[in-house]
Amino acid sequence: MSAHTMSMRDALYEAPGPRTKRLTVIGTIVSLALVCVGLALVVRQFYVTGQLDAKYWAFFARPTTWLYLLNGFVGTVKVAAMAAVISLVLGVLLMLARTSGIKPLAFVARVIIDFFRGVPSLLLIYFFYLGLPTVGIRMSPFWMITIPVALAASGVLAEVFRAGVNAVPKGQTEAALSIGLTPGKTMFKIVLPQALRIVIPSLISQLVVVVKDTTVAYVVSYPDLMQNGRVLITTNDAVVSVYLVTAVIYILVNYAINQLSISMARRSGNPIISRTTENPT
Amino acid sequence: MDFAQILEEYGQNYATAIMQTLSMTALCFCLAMVISILITVMRVSPIKPLRLVGDLYVQIFRNIPGVALLVLVAYALPNIQIVLPWKTCVEVTVVLLASAFGSENFMTGINAIGVGQIEAARSIGLTFTQTMRKIVIPQALRSAVLPMTNLLIATMLTTALGSQVPLNPQELTGLVSYITTRSTGAGIVPFIISAVCYAGMSVLLGVLGNRIDKKVRVLR
Repeated sequence: MSAHTMSMRDALYEAPGPRTKRLTVIGTIVSLALVCVGLALVVRQFYVTGQLDAKYWAFFARPTTWLYLLNGFVGTVKVAAMAAVISLVLGVLLMLARTSGIKPLAFVARVIIDFFRGVPSLLLIYFFYLGLPTVGIRMSPFWMITIPVALAASGVLAEVFRAGVNAVPKGQTEAALSIGLTPGKTMFKIVLPQALRIVIPSLISQLVVVVKDTTVAYVVSYPDLMQNGRVLITTNDAVVSVYLVTAVIYILVNYAINQLSISMARRSGNPIISRTTENPT
Repeated sequence: MDFAQILEEYGQNYATAIMQTLSMTALCFCLAMVISILITVMRVSPIKPLRLVGDLYVQIFRNIPGVALLVLVAYALPNIQIVLPWKTCVEVTVVLLASAFGSENFMTGINAIGVGQIEAARSIGLTFTQTMRKIVIPQALRSAVLPMTNLLIATMLTTALGSQVPLNPQELTGLVSYITTRSTGAGIVPFIISAVCYAGMSVLLGVLGNRIDKKVRVLR
């Protein structure tokens, strides 16, 4: 998106005259100074409260610290990958049900989709962690975090898939039906393969949401990146530095996934369909 | 415990929890709109440092997980002598997250207008302010209705982060974990009540936003 953004951003202004150029330079200097002052204030606050002391940062020089965080990260990847796979399957199934043309089935699928899109993933996680055990259903921490994250994603994915199916030209379906393919074959052989290709960038960007949702794994005591970070906090008695480092790791990972999705979208010319762009009803 | 018993014992709690969720949602969404407009203005301004700060702000807060930000605000900030009440911590977190997405929505709205319109506006002699007021802002606002509706719903769901700090009164998610830990026989009913409240409000907001969007949409 950034290449397009730049052009529109810059198109808003005419080529600047000498006066505007001067004003822009002054504005640049003033804003740069303000940013520097802001940064300096932040660093000063860290310094006076002793948060820059070596004891809060020295343990990041030890390989064991990073190994432990890496272990947590592997846990995050495991949960995110499994949740992604489950939500893909569920998402396709829900989309097929919703577009099946069978009224009761479509209605049920719609209710399920709206339910999972309209409920916070934290509530689903608490349901698997606190609710299900009261009725005798117990599972390991891995599944207690993976299943709710997958369920929350499946509702959005069903809508993403539906948008993908709708983006396949109508003529394709008509042509397939006219040469005698059954509606089922038309869906599976003609429409779905093309729809899947269209939504690949959207699926990748949805992965960010899945990774974000896995961060509450500490609720079920599953050792993911955040949970291992919390353990590091207790062992090293350092809150600020560890939380900052974990946050930066998450930001970088999600940024990378987002950039991948954007570059795939640009290369294939298919838009990124997400929760924000789709129709809310 | 069945449905009636839960409602009898905790009905009042649910009422206050819904109010808590809704009031936090409303406040956070309004603040997020103000900040996202500011950030968007920074991002389209011709002043490079402002653009960079705006872009950085959006990239940080759209990529950070809600919980990771909440623990920073609630548990890290006190260590640098910034102590906020629990509720404010949740609200600050939600506003930071929502405003990043809000600014993205506005940018998408601006980008959808197309360079041609700006060039046309300039060629008929409109000044910069006129172009902004008559061409850019109205269209950007109109095409932002649907994404902003989704953002409003997402903001409501994000206030569930309130369950991770001791809020008083609790919001809908925190209340459920409170009830389940307090009454062991509560089963899954408390979850269903909260979930239906959330889903119902989401659908309601969605329908409302859709209606507004149909009225103001710019057809291209």
